[in-house]
Amino acid sequence: MKNKSRFLAAPFTVWAVGFTIIPLLIVIYYAFTDNETGGFTLSNLAEISSPENMKALALALLLSVVSTAICLILAYPLAMILAQKSVNQTSFIVLIFILPMWMNFLLRTLAWQTLLEKNGVINSVLSFLHLPALEIINTPGAIILGMVYNFLPFMVLPIYNVMIKIDKDVVNAARDLGANPLQTLTRILIPLSLPGIISGITMVFIPSLTTFVISSMLGGSKILLIGNVIEQEFQQTNNYHVGSGLSLVLMLFILFSMAVTAKYDKDGEGSLF
Amino acid sequence: MSYKLINLENITKSYEGQRVLDNLNLYIRENEFLTLLGPSGCGKTTTLRIIGGFESPDSGRVIFDGQDITNLAPNKRQLNTVFQKYALFTHMSIAENIAFGLKIKGKSQEYIKDKIKYALKLVNLEGYEHRSPASLSGGQQQRIAIARAIVNEPKVLLLDEPLGALDLKLRQDMQYELIRLKNELGITFIYVTHDQEEALTMSDTIVVMNQGYIQQIGTPEDIYNEPQNAFVADFIGDSNIIDGVMLEDRLVKILGAKFPCVDTGFGRNKPVDVVIRPEDIDLVKPKKGIITGRVTNLIFRGVHYEMDVEAGGYTWLVHSTDMVPVGEEVGIWVDPFDIQIMNKPESVHEEAVSVEE
Amino acid sequence: MKKFIQRFYMGLIFLFLYAPIVTLLVLSFNSSKTRAKWGGFTGQWYVSLFQNTEIMQALYNTLLIAVLAALIATVIGTMGALGINHMRRRSRAFFNGLNNVPILNGEIVIGISLMLLFLACRMTLGFTTILLAHITFCIPYVILSVMPKLKQVNKSTYEAALDLGASPIRAFFLVVFPDILPGVLSGFLMAFTLSLDDFIITYFTKGPGVDTLSTKIYSEVRKGIKPEMYALSTLMFVTVLALLLIVNLSPSEEKLLQGSGNGKKNLLSPRRRRLIFGRVIPAALAAVILVGGFYYGSKTRLDSDNQVIVYNWGEYIDPEVLDLFEEETGIQVVYEEFETNEMMYPKIKAGAVAYDVVCPSDYMISKMIDNDLLAPLNWDNIPNASNIGDMYYRTSQQFDPGNLYSVPYCWGTVGILYNKTMVDEPVDSWEILWESKYRDSILMQDSVRDSFGVALKYLGHSLNSTNIKELTDAQQLLITQKPLVQAYVIDQVRDKMISGEAALGVIYSGEAIYTQRENPDLEYVIPKEGSNVWIDSWVIPKNAPHQENAEAFINFLCRPDIALMNFEYITYSTPNEAARELIQDEDIRDSHIAFPDEAELANCETFTYLGSQVDATYNDLWKKVKSS
Repeated sequence: MKNKSRFLAAPFTVWAVGFTIIPLLIVIYYAFTDNETGGFTLSNLAEISSPENMKALALALLLSVVSTAICLILAYPLAMILAQKSVNQTSFIVLIFILPMWMNFLLRTLAWQTLLEKNGVINSVLSFLHLPALEIINTPGAIILGMVYNFLPFMVLPIYNVMIKIDKDVVNAARDLGANPLQTLTRILIPLSLPGIISGITMVFIPSLTTFVISSMLGGSKILLIGNVIEQEFQQTNNYHVGSGLSLVLMLFILFSMAVTAKYDKDGEGSLF
Repeated sequence: MSYKLINLENITKSYEGQRVLDNLNLYIRENEFLTLLGPSGCGKTTTLRIIGGFESPDSGRVIFDGQDITNLAPNKRQLNTVFQKYALFTHMSIAENIAFGLKIKGKSQEYIKDKIKYALKLVNLEGYEHRSPASLSGGQQQRIAIARAIVNEPKVLLLDEPLGALDLKLRQDMQYELIRLKNELGITFIYVTHDQEEALTMSDTIVVMNQGYIQQIGTPEDIYNEPQNAFVADFIGDSNIIDGVMLEDRLVKILGAKFPCVDTGFGRNKPVDVVIRPEDIDLVKPKKGIITGRVTNLIFRGVHYEMDVEAGGYTWLVHSTDMVPVGEEVGIWVDPFDIQIMNKPESVHEEAVSVEE
Repeated sequence: MKKFIQRFYMGLIFLFLYAPIVTLLVLSFNSSKTRAKWGGFTGQWYVSLFQNTEIMQALYNTLLIAVLAALIATVIGTMGALGINHMRRRSRAFFNGLNNVPILNGEIVIGISLMLLFLACRMTLGFTTILLAHITFCIPYVILSVMPKLKQVNKSTYEAALDLGASPIRAFFLVVFPDILPGVLSGFLMAFTLSLDDFIITYFTKGPGVDTLSTKIYSEVRKGIKPEMYALSTLMFVTVLALLLIVNLSPSEEKLLQGSGNGKKNLLSPRRRRLIFGRVIPAALAAVILVGGFYYGSKTRLDSDNQVIVYNWGEYIDPEVLDLFEEETGIQVVYEEFETNEMMYPKIKAGAVAYDVVCPSDYMISKMIDNDLLAPLNWDNIPNASNIGDMYYRTSQQFDPGNLYSVPYCWGTVGILYNKTMVDEPVDSWEILWESKYRDSILMQDSVRDSFGVALKYLGHSLNSTNIKELTDAQQLLITQKPLVQAYVIDQVRDKMISGEAALGVIYSGEAIYTQRENPDLEYVIPKEGSNVWIDSWVIPKNAPHQENAEAFINFLCRPDIALMNFEYITYSTPNEAARELIQDEDIRDSHIAFPDEAELANCETFTYLGSQVDATYNDLWKKVKSS
């Protein structure tokens, strides 16, 4: 039985090779060949060193790191609160976080435009209260907000799922042994929920780093991230080779950062579910 | 032995409208091994958690060493807990687990090292410092949990069904281990269990609880020999609990037969519960007993035989070292001082009040 | 106190999560077409939604793809998880890693890598490619969701089932499967939701003419979202919310019913409820989608040779016109849309799909002529072409010398739209876009040629300049302007100007008419330095299979009444003089915005194709502006 069951993974393997591995090889092929001659070249990869592209990559890294950090800071206490709730509420709570996804991603982001605009909803409320206006639209701040908004659930859910599996008595034990709430958090809760944190960071950092929609919708197209550059190479300039080269560089960055974080996640316990 | 270290005063606690503890009063003496015994849901664990500080009562006070600690955080209480499922920190080594409380208190490296050694020796697990909790057996994990608690030198150790997850042999070994520990440390143990045998073996004092009320407090002997109501009698050991009528002082009518007994003061013709332990029943020749019956079932139990005897429309449970074959007619004889007479409770609450001292 | 802080914190997070949702909900009842203004309460979008075949088609595509992708991914993923679970430790680690690759890649890399794969396999981008892509990114989530449940499965129950005589397969379905079912279901739900919400991967793997809601919305973002979209997403959201509430509230109901005793009265027993939510609803959903599929399939099936395949800009024809054409000529219209000239061009060049009639812009037409992609028109078949004003044919000469290939369809100018309450001085020059007092109140077009056109004209150069000195000067000018610019947008200029977000914006004349109607404070000018005058014209590709039908189609569009219908629908100026005569509203007929006279257009030029080398230079310079 054990031997035969392995072959159930055959369709998955075929699919993964055909639609994940081979496409990546094609990207690599494009990345190393010239647009005009088709010969081998490193110039596509070297494109990343141009000031504009460096700037786009650096800015994307900065914004995604910041928004991942904000997501973590917001999500952790939330996951803690949610994990205290009784069990029969949990599926409902999880769905509450998935539910906004049924309103289209682009529309949700667009709605933030409406909310944040100079004469938008939030500023109307602020001016009614005689408070200073919020001037965030078309700035990196708005992009970070958009990232945090769209990817927060992907931080909350993995942490929450690890958190509910932690025996409450382990926390009680720490308190019992003299740890105050803060010590309990740093020495027990955070180390134990680390797989969820890692998984959450992955799920937020990668889409933030690669997005081009949020930056163009909330950044007023004034701010180019690496995702925007790649998108333009493919959809506007039609230069697949440079686009592939930049994507490859981006992938290397992702792999590098994940290798760093994966060191902490030895068992791979963290998951979205 | 007489100092009342912990005092629980009028403790009431409800969960989602369900009353778990109702106006509970209890004191625990210094150096006592006190066991809270009862079926699941009786409130024993809640009582323990209130003492530990993991729950706060809806009303009432917890007095520890003369001070009100009802609202004190668990980390500020001078007592430590051994949890049911050990609750070891899986991300730390054994040594780190044991050192946790000491590190928090800022003890020196040297001191901590010594303490770890001492504690591991105490629980017979020397050399396990660098193992991870997951690599230990249940019994070993339990002992580490105990070691982790006692290195902090608490005045009171709270144990929440610590042996529940262990198999029978290990459980018995651990019982002796705990008694030894208690004697070596000379501190107060508050022990929660649903296992009456465990309670009888280890305790100085047993508190039998049911549905949020204390049913009886006493030494193991008291509890076993003099159960104050049918619940206690039924819960502690095997017993025959039969409806009876107290005809007069020292005479009770059971199943139509008159049994002499030693109880007085119940009045005349008063319905009562009669408790007779199976080992207190003597099977005699049919005519020589007070009531006559027939053996319907027989099991060999090692130390004794267990028999069912149909007599007077009731199936008597009898333990005896002498075997009587199935189908044989026998007489039942009970010595008067082996018959325990109890008032029938009119309500759960009355039951609880009646046993309060 | 602690409880209160917790509640307060959760409240804030939920406010954050649901504020945009509520915003969209409110917008769906806004009677004004622009999201910038509240025009009063209306339910009309919920009615017109169901008459909008494009949205319904996109909805249908979205749902069908989501259901199929989730189903297939669930099957492959569940099998995969089972297989991986039975592997040895090391190969298990390898396969888990393989499964994580798509998640780690980021959507953009999945999207482009699959696009390159499909192109390499010469697959036409369309429904199938989107579906394949969605299955690809859904599988990992299914596996991730099934795997933990598999680890929890008690092996001995399976062995017990074997022991009791069940075959391995039966034993699996009777014993193991029910245990992992929650994982399978949540994997399915996750896959379905992610597929439904995906934009990026769809964007790269979709072909022309196939839209999901996401890509439809994305193309609408540039043109202004149709309020029907808000209505639709509100409906979807509310439906799911309702389902959720039913599923989650029923347990307590069940308790009540059981408490009352009799099992017979228990309408929603757990088993029945599971049946309803586990089987009946999905089955009904699947049935609806399949039936819908056959319906749409039969509707769009290419059943005769008597057809014309039209490739047009999105939102660039009155749908009723297409119906009328089919009715009157019996020629069936196959209609597809593109978003930019640049996206259209490779499709025509590749020739994978043969289109009969296409509507590119001026400079793109000259590029197509240069590359010998167009067929000369047989003007005898297009008698109505004489309705088009001479001046438009003259202008067309700039890109179509001799008027051999193209019939003008829409035209317009690019100019400055400004808000009279925010700008006091007279506006007649591009110079004002460099006035620092309008910092953060200027909207520029997010397009290379349009933005460089503005700068070049301001500097007094041709907007088709290929002189590198002139171009770098223009680039410098744009870089100095950037701090003043509020945003680079496309058609959102419209909404933002209406709501008073900005004082000045570069806009197409066609949009200007609409914005003025919504906000009378707005004024449109063509700066004195000159500007871009553009023409979109109908052309017929060389490989068109139905040239005569195509010419009949163009002829039909040139009929005055039809041209008028289109003008009223699109609001871009029509070159059709006869149609202009038919316009009822004098203000519009004589509008200088819609129909400027030749004097006003004196300094205006059309864009021409500058060659791929120069194109690349433009793109490069523009990127530097954007990232400055």
